[in-house]
Amino acid sequence: MESNSPKRRKLDHTHTGPIFESVASSSMGASGSSAFVLETDELLKEVKLDYSKAFPGIDQTLRQFKEAIEGLEQYGPVPIDEASATWEKTNRTAIPYPDPKPAKNCPYKVSFEKPTHINVVGSYTSQTMVKSQSNFAVDMIVVMPATLFSEKDYRDYRYFYKRAFFLAYITDALRRKFSDLDFTYTNFNGNALLPVLIARPQAQSSKTQTTGKRESQGKQINYEIRILPNAPEGYFPAAKLSATSNSIRRNGSDESKDSKIPTPFYNSTLKSESQFVSYLKLLHRTSNTCASFKDACILGRTWLQQRGFGGDVADGGFGHFHWAVLMALLLQTGGRKGEPILSPSLHASQLFKATLQYLASSNLHKKLVVLGPKMTTPDVVRQTGPVLYDAAREINILFNMTTWSAFMLNEHAKLSITAINDPQVDQFDSLFITKVNQPLQMFDLFININVPSNAAQTLFGVSDGRSPIVAFAENIYRTLKKALGERAKLINIQVPKPTAWKVTPSSRKSKTESILVGIMCDPAKASQGREFGPLYEQKKDAAKFREFWGDISELWQFPSGEIVESVNWNEHSPLGYFGICQAIIRYILKSRLKLTDDDLEFHGQEFSNIISLSPADKVSFGAVKAAFSVFEKDVRELGDLPLSVRQIAPIGPEMRYASLRSPTPNQRKQGVTPINAVLSFEASGKWPENIASIQRAKIALLLQIAHSLEEAKGGIKTHLGLEDAERETENLAFLDIIYESGFSFRLRVHSDQEETLLDRQTKDQTLDRHVRTEAAALLSSVRWRSAILPLHNQTISTYCTRFPALSPSIRLAKHWFNSHRLGNHFNEPLIELFVLQAFLQPHPFPIPSSASTGFLRTLLMLASYDWREEPMIIDPSDSLSATERLDISTRLEAWRKIDANMNRTTLFVATPFDVTGIAYTQNLPKVVAMRMTALARSASKATKDKGIELDPRTLFQSGLRDYDVIIYLSAKAIKSVLRDDGTPTDVDADTFEVNREAVLAEIARIGGDLIEKIDVKDGR
Amino acid sequence: MPENSTSSDGFSTLPISIPPLPSYPVHATHYIYLRRNAPRIATADDSRSLYLSNIPTDSTEAHFRALFTNLVGAGRFESITFEQDKRSAKISHEPAQAERLAKHHKKRKREDEELQYRKEEAAAELPETWSRELHRSGSSAVALLADEKSVDSILKAVKKLTKPKKYPVWGEGLKDGVPVFGAQWLMAHNKLSYPGNDVVQAVVDTYFTVFNRKEEEAHQLAKRLRNEPDEDGFVMVTRGGRSAPARRDEAEEARQKMLDKQQKKKDEMQNFYRFQLREKRKAEQLELVKKFDEDKRKVQAMRERRGRFRPEM
Repeated sequence: MESNSPKRRKLDHTHTGPIFESVASSSMGASGSSAFVLETDELLKEVKLDYSKAFPGIDQTLRQFKEAIEGLEQYGPVPIDEASATWEKTNRTAIPYPDPKPAKNCPYKVSFEKPTHINVVGSYTSQTMVKSQSNFAVDMIVVMPATLFSEKDYRDYRYFYKRAFFLAYITDALRRKFSDLDFTYTNFNGNALLPVLIARPQAQSSKTQTTGKRESQGKQINYEIRILPNAPEGYFPAAKLSATSNSIRRNGSDESKDSKIPTPFYNSTLKSESQFVSYLKLLHRTSNTCASFKDACILGRTWLQQRGFGGDVADGGFGHFHWAVLMALLLQTGGRKGEPILSPSLHASQLFKATLQYLASSNLHKKLVVLGPKMTTPDVVRQTGPVLYDAAREINILFNMTTWSAFMLNEHAKLSITAINDPQVDQFDSLFITKVNQPLQMFDLFININVPSNAAQTLFGVSDGRSPIVAFAENIYRTLKKALGERAKLINIQVPKPTAWKVTPSSRKSKTESILVGIMCDPAKASQGREFGPLYEQKKDAAKFREFWGDISELWQFPSGEIVESVNWNEHSPLGYFGICQAIIRYILKSRLKLTDDDLEFHGQEFSNIISLSPADKVSFGAVKAAFSVFEKDVRELGDLPLSVRQIAPIGPEMRYASLRSPTPNQRKQGVTPINAVLSFEASGKWPENIASIQRAKIALLLQIAHSLEEAKGGIKTHLGLEDAERETENLAFLDIIYESGFSFRLRVHSDQEETLLDRQTKDQTLDRHVRTEAAALLSSVRWRSAILPLHNQTISTYCTRFPALSPSIRLAKHWFNSHRLGNHFNEPLIELFVLQAFLQPHPFPIPSSASTGFLRTLLMLASYDWREEPMIIDPSDSLSATERLDISTRLEAWRKIDANMNRTTLFVATPFDVTGIAYTQNLPKVVAMRMTALARSASKATKDKGIELDPRTLFQSGLRDYDVIIYLSAKAIKSVLRDDGTPTDVDADTFEVNREAVLAEIARIGGDLIEKIDVKDGR
Repeated sequence: MPENSTSSDGFSTLPISIPPLPSYPVHATHYIYLRRNAPRIATADDSRSLYLSNIPTDSTEAHFRALFTNLVGAGRFESITFEQDKRSAKISHEPAQAERLAKHHKKRKREDEELQYRKEEAAAELPETWSRELHRSGSSAVALLADEKSVDSILKAVKKLTKPKKYPVWGEGLKDGVPVFGAQWLMAHNKLSYPGNDVVQAVVDTYFTVFNRKEEEAHQLAKRLRNEPDEDGFVMVTRGGRSAPARRDEAEEARQKMLDKQQKKKDEMQNFYRFQLREKRKAEQLELVKKFDEDKRKVQAMRERRGRFRPEM
């Protein structure tokens, strides 16, 4: 162990790769971190791209492009209206002017001159592309010579008009020369001011149209070359383009007023045009000084990509470039005194974690962040939206980012940081592998808003160059954020992706577009019926409140005498928080943004409607709990019991907010079994020392309780029922206690003595093997009922009150299992644990906040769970120690070694109160487990693919196609039987090997008149 | 397939024709396998009994009576024991002390006394909850016949069954009607599950009268044995001597106390000597290395399973 001495460690730290020393010294503690490092290394190996294979012949094409552009003759200068009128027509190439188009009588001229230099930039040159990217863009910048522009060109889109012509000229030339390539225009990062040229190999693009996905999975990938013209480095005066200055003068008639409105977006776009080269230099320099910079960039890129972030404004405006620049800046500066935050000697995974930590803690969505030399006037950079100001280059690098995506980024970074810091579970998958960008898994409420065609101009006055739809979305976001307040934890807006358009002149049709708003609610706060505003006395705030809410704001007096402004939504509260939020959104969008109900389309409630979940269910669950405590008191008050009562533990799902149907009093009539409970007495030596006799003694006790209860209390009826027991040593009887005015309970007695005797029998080596296995089976059923279920009940009940969405999610999940006919294989507690696990280990998502997200997240977890290798450990209060966890894993390994085909033990679910891992999953055939996984997988796939269009009912429709034998039960006969004794509704064919007909005939005989028809699938 | 297994284990195949039912209108054939009964522990009746396996789940004694009557004529069949009956019959209800003593001291019982006991035990049985028992599919039974000759003649008759038309029909010629299955059966079960508190009370009372008496007897016997040397002159040591034996939980407690004491002593001496600290550090380091190797192995295993390191699209 010499290499572990501190001296050696210091010497070693320049070493790259996963060295043991750096692992041991990492801040994350020993457990899991070394695995994380190894896993990231594997990931890097996996995603890295083989450039020569992926882009055949691209270097040659790029060189030809460069030569072609450099060989172009000077053109112009020509007046701008002449260019748009005649040049466009003669060359049949469109000039991609940004909106608004140049006025007819503009005095300035456009021209083309040889570019000062042409360079390939971006992730192609830095080799940070990854395989999982959806498209591969190779960026080529063409720097326009300074002689093209004049001093005042930063104003009034002049630069952008000139740039557009320059681009069109290049396009025209390339289009003629390279007939094997497809050329289109698109907006750079969705920024309408910056059109760029895209070239795609022709054969490839036609193929992708037909075969779609297959192509992208093949070896040759879908790449494109983007040509980005930009301004000479540092050409525009930064002082005139600060966030507070105005550069667009010609809007509107009232010039003096306009000049005061700052146009930060326009200014930043312009500044960014002249900074391409300097950022290229920055990144290049950093990757030379920091060995693992590139790898960390790839990790960052993967992380962002899995969360749907990208440079395009529709993807949030925070892409790989921003990640890389942020990291490069943090390697230089960022600390309180300007010292670097990151050290270049860190390992890639550590760089990644530290950057994530920075994103999580810097609160980009709330305050502006300045990196680099201290600014004298921070006001100059202040603007709405996120600000990450690079002081050295005097630009806000996040100018294209939307406010909501800054929120989202922060939230995701926080979630990932908590995931990394969780020592118990390896969170690698949740960071890089899981696709997080699935709106249905994330948000509870969706609104599809049709954007009015005239929205941008009429409502928002002066535009500062942003695309109108983004400006509109920004407005919606601000309004909703203010209106919903704490009711919404997160609001995200999906704006449509910009599309490419043809390079030949053609009229671009403007179609009605819609944006999708996703809202994650806080169920506890969102169900509040009344919105409270500021105190009446605070005149200024109160006036603001009234102005915002309009006529419906009213005054409200608290019992304490305080009078506040408020808005009342109580009439919608029967519909739960969903109804309230919907009403608020409808009202506020109508009153503030003039959006009619036709423009809005709400989604998200469909899941709860499937089993008609309602907020009133909580009350009926509360009623059961109250009834049970009355029952418990009644039993405890009985004086004449021979033993003293230690505990009466409820074990029915009704008692933990988890039964599929909400409980109603007097259930016996409807054929629902009473609520189960277990009664245990204080330890006593009076129990007989014989298991069969103990069972009889239990009956005697039950009869005694029945007798005393009926005598002591009016309105109680008791029935002693016999269990369907095969042996005399099993529990033989239960007592049904029916309160005439309320609920009924089913009581069973637990005896400690029985447990000790059975335990002794299982361990007694002198007994026959079959006696011991029998005793073991009995013991496990005793423990299940008297030890595991009461604790389980307590756990689920506690967490249902802690997570308001847990109870409806459990019920929805149970319905799903039932509708796929898996209900009689999976016991209810197991399903509850599945859902609980989805809430306890939500990474990479936040904790589910509605029935739909809770349910879908459970399915997502089940879909990808590797039951063979990983034990599912559900440990709500972190009470299991590391060694206990290790023991559980070892136990699973042992099971898998004994039974490699998983014939006996399929699922392995351990909890602090059942570390054996098999109590919950006994008698679960592999076929059934596999079917569950397959069903969950296809449901999750549908959720991902269809997104908001998904009809939740389809997830619950189960085909009978897969079954070989179907038994139809007669509805009439069932009704006549009061209680259904779990007659199987369908049978898996695997159980029949010998003589199917005879077996079916047997079933038919037993079923008698219950069975209407037995269908057998032909052909097997 | 049924024909193949006929000769192998000495089993003969008895095909039974199952009549079609409205819900499943198919003519099925069920195969019962039978042979002479030869259990590991021989009994007196082995020679005149038949071992049947793969009996239909809804078999009753009446079914088999009819079946054998059909095959070899009336009067040959005596009774049948199903697999499940046997198992439940074995369970002892004796008090623990009585059981212990019984190992050493066989008590002779008088005939009339035994009869009385059997009666009492029958009264202590809980009522049945099913109007008709179901058997596990593929389970076995032992049929007791009148004499050895009947066994031979049945086996002979079975061999002769070659034409499907001649197969005996299941449930044909049932003399006394058996309870029907289906909804009625379930409804009956629901009713039978609640025999009434009074009925159960009576059963339990009888049971404990017997149980208490047995316990008392065992107690008396133990007392007597304490003073009585056996034929070799030894006196048996039994429970309930001068000082009562420790109760089990007390013994447990004492043991726990002792363990705690030992543990405490051990803990006190930890981290005391320098060599202990050194060894501890060493162990920790080893643990870290082990963990690292383990992680490496795990990642290796993950890589082998494909697709683990590919981000989802």
